[in-house]
Formats: sequence, structure tokens, C-alpha cells
Amino acid sequence: MTSGALTSLSYPIVEQTLENGLRVISSPDHIAPSVAVNIWYDVGSRDEEQGRTGFAHLFEHVMFQGSAHVASGQHIALLQAAGAVVNATTWFDRTNYFETLPTGVLDLALWLEADRMATLLDALNQENLDNQREVVKEEKRQRYDNVPYGDVMELLNTLTFPPEHPYGHTTIGSMEDLDAAMLEDVHSFFRRHYLPNNAVLSIVGDVEPEDAFERAEIYFGHLAAGAKPAKLDGGPLLPLSGMPRTETADKVPADAVYFSWRLPARGSRAFDALDLAFSILGHGQTSRLHRQLVRGSEHAEATGASTMGLIGGNSFGFSYARARDEVSPEQLEQEMSDVIEQLLRDGPTEEELRRAKAQFERHWLHELARVDSRADALGEYATLHGDPNLINSRIAEITAIEDGDLRNAMQEWLRPDQRATLIYRQEQG
Amino acid sequence: MRDFLPRPEIAPAVVWAFPAPRRARLSNGIELIIFDLPGQHVISAHLVLDIPLNAERAEIEGVATICARTLDEGTKHHNGEEFAELLETEGAGFGLDLSLSGTQIVLDVPASHLDRALELFAEAVTEPSLADRDVNRHVQLRLAEIEQAQANPAQAASIAFRAAVFEEAKRAARMNGGESETVSHVTPEAVAAFHHDHFGPAGATLILAGDFVDDPVAVAERSLGSWSNDDQRRIIIEDPAPGPRRTLLIDRPGAVQADIRFGGFGIDRLDPRWSAISVGSYAMGGAFLSRLNAVLREEKGYTYGVRMNFGPLRTGGSFAVQGSFRTEVVDDALAITRELIKVDEAPFTSQEVNDAVAFFTGVSPLRYATADGVADQAATQVLAGLPDDYVDRSLALLRSVTPEAATETYGSIVNPDELTLVVVGDAERLADPIRSLGFTDLEVRTSAGSQT
Repeated sequence: MTSGALTSLSYPIVEQTLENGLRVISSPDHIAPSVAVNIWYDVGSRDEEQGRTGFAHLFEHVMFQGSAHVASGQHIALLQAAGAVVNATTWFDRTNYFETLPTGVLDLALWLEADRMATLLDALNQENLDNQREVVKEEKRQRYDNVPYGDVMELLNTLTFPPEHPYGHTTIGSMEDLDAAMLEDVHSFFRRHYLPNNAVLSIVGDVEPEDAFERAEIYFGHLAAGAKPAKLDGGPLLPLSGMPRTETADKVPADAVYFSWRLPARGSRAFDALDLAFSILGHGQTSRLHRQLVRGSEHAEATGASTMGLIGGNSFGFSYARARDEVSPEQLEQEMSDVIEQLLRDGPTEEELRRAKAQFERHWLHELARVDSRADALGEYATLHGDPNLINSRIAEITAIEDGDLRNAMQEWLRPDQRATLIYRQEQG
Repeated sequence: MRDFLPRPEIAPAVVWAFPAPRRARLSNGIELIIFDLPGQHVISAHLVLDIPLNAERAEIEGVATICARTLDEGTKHHNGEEFAELLETEGAGFGLDLSLSGTQIVLDVPASHLDRALELFAEAVTEPSLADRDVNRHVQLRLAEIEQAQANPAQAASIAFRAAVFEEAKRAARMNGGESETVSHVTPEAVAAFHHDHFGPAGATLILAGDFVDDPVAVAERSLGSWSNDDQRRIIIEDPAPGPRRTLLIDRPGAVQADIRFGGFGIDRLDPRWSAISVGSYAMGGAFLSRLNAVLREEKGYTYGVRMNFGPLRTGGSFAVQGSFRTEVVDDALAITRELIKVDEAPFTSQEVNDAVAFFTGVSPLRYATADGVADQAATQVLAGLPDDYVDRSLALLRSVTPEAATETYGSIVNPDELTLVVVGDAERLADPIRSLGFTDLEVRTSAGSQT
């Protein structure tokens, strides 16, 4: 048997929906005179059209270029000058905008967010778009094109999903598509996705729920709803078949091997079970890949495995190992494969399962300890799963997963013929 | 649609103070600093050891890092993997932070498991196996890690910059984890000797932060209170010194961007100018619309982001403007940077000073609202020799900075004509443009060697 959770959670969570469909979530916490404001828009790179990869992220940049009553760059500048930390991110399933601030700055933050939700297009011009296109291209160069192994994510996406699938391309997109983005694209993307009824506003910290809802109504209540956009439906797809395989070579310090898998969508017991399986496989010093390839055979300098939970029909999972000198990628591939097949055949040990759950628990407690990451988690669970209260029950859900859940999910999704392989070779010369 | 609402005013911030710790002492003299933080269910424990990196013998620099990394590979009581398994079963995370002024060993664990986890943690620190095979593997992994770092242009730029900005003979000029030439000489015997000579309770501090289930003093006493080492040697920390100004281009043929570091020798937190330079550097390169970012990113679109960063050490430090720029615009970006960082004809304004002070004041309560945030800061203070109320004091000092003081201090530290420049990028395309900006002392370092 497995032990119960170390901790049970009861963060207060109150939700209200404004008449225009904006969901507002409040979670009061008076530990510090700070408030986290977080808006999840239900739009990500999965919603991009063909020939416009990278657009959701480019759009996120444009959101900081001003609106009817806010000059370019002033969204961040005004908030920073009031003691706030501000940022935004784009991913396959979402675009989130967030700021954490002293309590007395809450009205300003809500006003700024509402102004761009209502009037972004009033301030948009070709110059702003062109400038942020250049900034995003620099971001792509800095984070992907000019670093070793920077194209791995793109290669694995391509191996794992069909090209026209919503997850078949990366969030950063391609240079060609970024170059092709036009002002009209910004207009239509904004009108289609940036609607109060396509967003979740979380207000967490030093403010009581009635107060939070009242302010949300003041600043967002007058915005008009629109037609909730339909989701591009990619799945669910079956597990990978045909053992797709790619090799590439570049100036990297070591050969490396990557495996990737299609997994079930997040929000299912099977996905949670597989998440624990990947943790047992490749997370931390006691993981099987580390024990056998880094410590045991000493053929790898680093190993890892992780899931990437996605909502649109399927998730994604991968593992990797980087070779020590004199070790061929083929040898490493065989060893990785053996480790995974052994886990598939014998299942996890009771101790391994217990450790994976304990590590999840610490990670989750850590995540919720800060008002800013708690606000983000609330937006995430409200947007993707329809229920922010799930953040309080995640530990119990994970604790309830049993050995048989892992075995079944692995048999269904992680068999050797269900993976893709990427060999990354060190370019000679 | 109704009329738009006017921009809301900001309500004044409530008074906030960094959490006050209680202090205690274990029976072997270890200083205990405890922060009781209700609602913080993950306890953060930092053991701060007074082992400056200049304790390493010059020919085996990196030995402190290898020693620290081998601590949790097995103990006298729990062999090899068994140790890590026990620790992870408690839901604990084990971490390390080696800086020039000392070693931090970090434990994060849910409060109900602190007692057992801290006992294991103490075992790793006081009675590690440091087995030959584990040490040798960590040496090889560190060598591979160095290769990975050198292949990453941003890291390569930072490594080359510290090597240039600090006097060559000083430990600060080289990576905290050691360079290939010395790491490759680290042996199991050397690691065992380093542990024997330098790990001990003298000068050690244990910081515990979180919502405790059990009395943290008793828990700490049980796990670490009886640790002793009669042979422990204390080493005085070495002061860094500035190196001669250099201009260096490290070749990365075909790179689509160049990573730039442009800076010099800096000051530490105990320098009376620290508050004024914090304000000045924030206005120059900390804020989103800082002088540098407003032009190079928001106006020109040359970079994803550029900043000016001050890195204080126990004494002295360094600072640099840093960013990556596409190859085609590197010369223009450098020319603009060189002009923008001058303040003699464009002194800092009261608006810039007010914004900086409001930013630092506003972000503090959140930054220090979690157990790990508080414990991190407390450890930094121990290593830098700062008092428990340092955060409150430094915020008060910030509020007294005038535009004149910010400008004068900045000018006394940042002299644009004396800065060291490191560029990591495509030398064939960059060398001439950089020289024609007046950097006539440019040294180009290619895989074939150096040339000027």
C-alpha cells in the first residue's frame, strides 16, 4: 500500500461570472500586502492558422504596445513604477498576462488590463507591429536558433504530430510566418479571441472576494461579449505508430538521443498516471534513467523525462540522454530503450511510486505557496478544466493513483513501437 | 459603450518589514536563524558554510563543487542510491549553491517531514561517503557541463567577461565550479581532504523558514548539534581586484546573433554608494523602459532585451550591460550603448529616481512572502556580512537617494571609456565593424588561437 498525502490543502476559492461572460476568481490571502492579477485567455499556438505559426506569441507582444488610453510600453512602465512585477507568456493552450503588485495598485492593474481588452486596436499601427516582429525574431534567435540543441522542440513536435495538427508546430513559429503577419491578422485575431467570455481573471492575495468582484465589475463589466471561438480540433489521436525517426547534426558539445510519445490529454487519470511514470523514469537522482545511464553504465552525462500536459485531445511526453565521450548514440538509444521496456514489463516498485507522489506534492505546495503562481494555477484549471477548485484536490488525485493505473496507461501509450526517435549528432570538423 | 474611466490613482503602500528572525545557537556553536512563516507548508533550510572558494588549492579549483555534488551520493550509514531514495521518499529536495564567499546546502521539505529529512541532510553534510567512483563521475560530468556552457553563447560571454574584468590571479576571475584544466586534476583523495579540512560547525549558520510542525530548535539540535571537526580550517575570503581593460571578440562562425557584455569592476552592498547605484542602474538598464531597453528593444527592435546588471561580491563586484543582438546590428547597438550609458550630459531625473524607489519598495513584500524567498535572502545576508534588518535598512536608504547622488555615483563607477567589452559572435562579420567604432585594441579569439 502507499502512504497518504503529507498535506491537505484548503485555499479559499470563490468564483463569479460577469454578465459578459468574464469568469472572475478570487482567493484571499493576507500574508503580504500584495495582490496577483492574472488573465488567462483561452488562445494559444494551437489556435493559429496555417502559414501564421508564431502569431499568438507575436500578438502577446503587441498587447504591450498600447491601447486607447495607454501609450506604447506604458502598461509595464506604469506598473513597474508602482512596484509591480509584470509579464506574459504564450504556450500551446493559452496566453496569460499577469502582474503582482502592492495592494493599492490593484485598480490601476485592472484598468490597464481592461483598456487593452477593450481597445487594443485603437492604438495598433504598422510601426508597433514591425517593431515587435523584430523583437520576437530576436527572441527566437536568442532562445532557439543560436543555442545548442535549440531546434529539438521543433523536431520533436514534427515527429509526434501531423503538420496540420494544432500541436504540430512550436509556439515560437517560423521566421517566414512571422514575416508574413499583417495588421489585418492582428485585427481578426483580437476580435476572435480577446473577449471577456474567452478569459479568466484571477485576483489572489490581499483583497476580499466581494471587493475583488466589485472592482472586476467596475473595470470589465461594460465590455461586450462576442461569439466564443470554436477550437481547432486535433484529436484525440491514437498513440504514435510506425516508429518515426529523424537524425540531425549540428555544432553541439555531445551526441544526444530523444524519444517522444503522444499521450492522452491532461485531466485524465491515465495522464496523471503517465506523469508519475515519467517522473520515475527521468526525474531526479533516483530516477531509472539516471541510475542506469549516468550512475550505472556511466554512458550518459545527463538524462531526463517529462510530460507536457495539453488539453486538445493529446498531450506530449519525451525523454532524452546526452552521450559521454566515446559512447555512440545508437548504444545510448539501446540503453534508454531497455530502461523503458523494463519499467513497462515490471511496473514501478512501491517505493518508486511513493517517491514520485511525494515529489509531486512538494512541487505542488511550492507552486501554490506564492500568490502569483497560485493565481496562474487558478486560471489554468478554470480555463482548461472548467474548475479552479481542482488546485485544492490535485494532491489527493495524485495520491489516489495506483500501481495498476501506471501499468495500464504505460501498456496503452508507452510501448516501444509507440515512440518517435530523434538522434542529435555532433557535427564533425 | 459608456465613457471610459480615468486612470486610477495608486493608494499609498502599507508599511511592510522584512520578517524578523529569532536566533539560537546549537550546542556545537552553529548559529540558528529561524523565520516562523504561517501558511508556508514547505520548509526551506539553508546550511551556510563559511568556505570561501579561495580555500581551494589553485591547481584543483572546482574541488569544492565536486565535494558538494558528491555529498548526497551516499553516506557512512546509507550507501549509494539508498540515501537519495530515502531523502526523496520524504518529499525532500536537496540543492547546492556555491559562491565565492561560501557554500550553501539547501533542503526543501513539507513541514511534517522536516525532522527525518533534516537528519538525512545532516548525514550527507557531516558523514558523506565521497566514494572514488562517485567523485570520478562528478569530475567527468563537470567537464561535460563546462563544454555545454562554452557552447552556449550567453554563458561563454559571461565566462569570458569575468575572466577579463577581475585580476587574473584572483579566484573571482574563474568559474565557481572550476575550469577544465583544474577540474580534471580533482581526485577522490583531494575531495576527501577538502571535506575533512573545511566542513565543520565553526562559522556555520543554519537558516530555517516556514510553518513548523515541531520545534525547529530541537529538530536542528538533534540533527546537527553534535557535529564536530577538530581539524576544521577557516580560510579568510580573498578580495577580488580589477583586471586591465580589454576588448575581446570570441569567434562563433555563422552565429546569427552576438552576445555582448560591456562593463567593469563594481562595488558591494556595504559600499555607501550601493543604494545610489541601485537606483542609477535600474534607470539605465533595469526597468522595462530603461534608457537602454527603451531604445534598443522598443524603438530599434535590435534585441529581445538588454539590461545593465550589478553583481555585488562580499567586497567589490562587477557590472555589465548585457544582451544579444542580431549580427547585422551589433555595431550600431554598441555605438548607441556607448552613448546611452553616459550620464554627464543627461543626469538621472527625479522621475527616474522615484520610479526606481517605488519598484524596489513595491516588489519586496512579495519577494519575501515565501519560505524560500526569505531563507534565500537571509543566506545572502550571512554570506555578505549584512545584518538581519538589512532589507528594511536598504529600502530606507534607497528612499533618501537624490537624482544628483544617483548621477554622481553612477558617473564615479561607470566610465564608458574604460569598460571591458566581450562579444561572442561571428568574428568574420564583426571584427572590422567593431574596430571601426574605435575599439582598436580588439583581440579576436578563434578556435585557432588569438590575434589582435
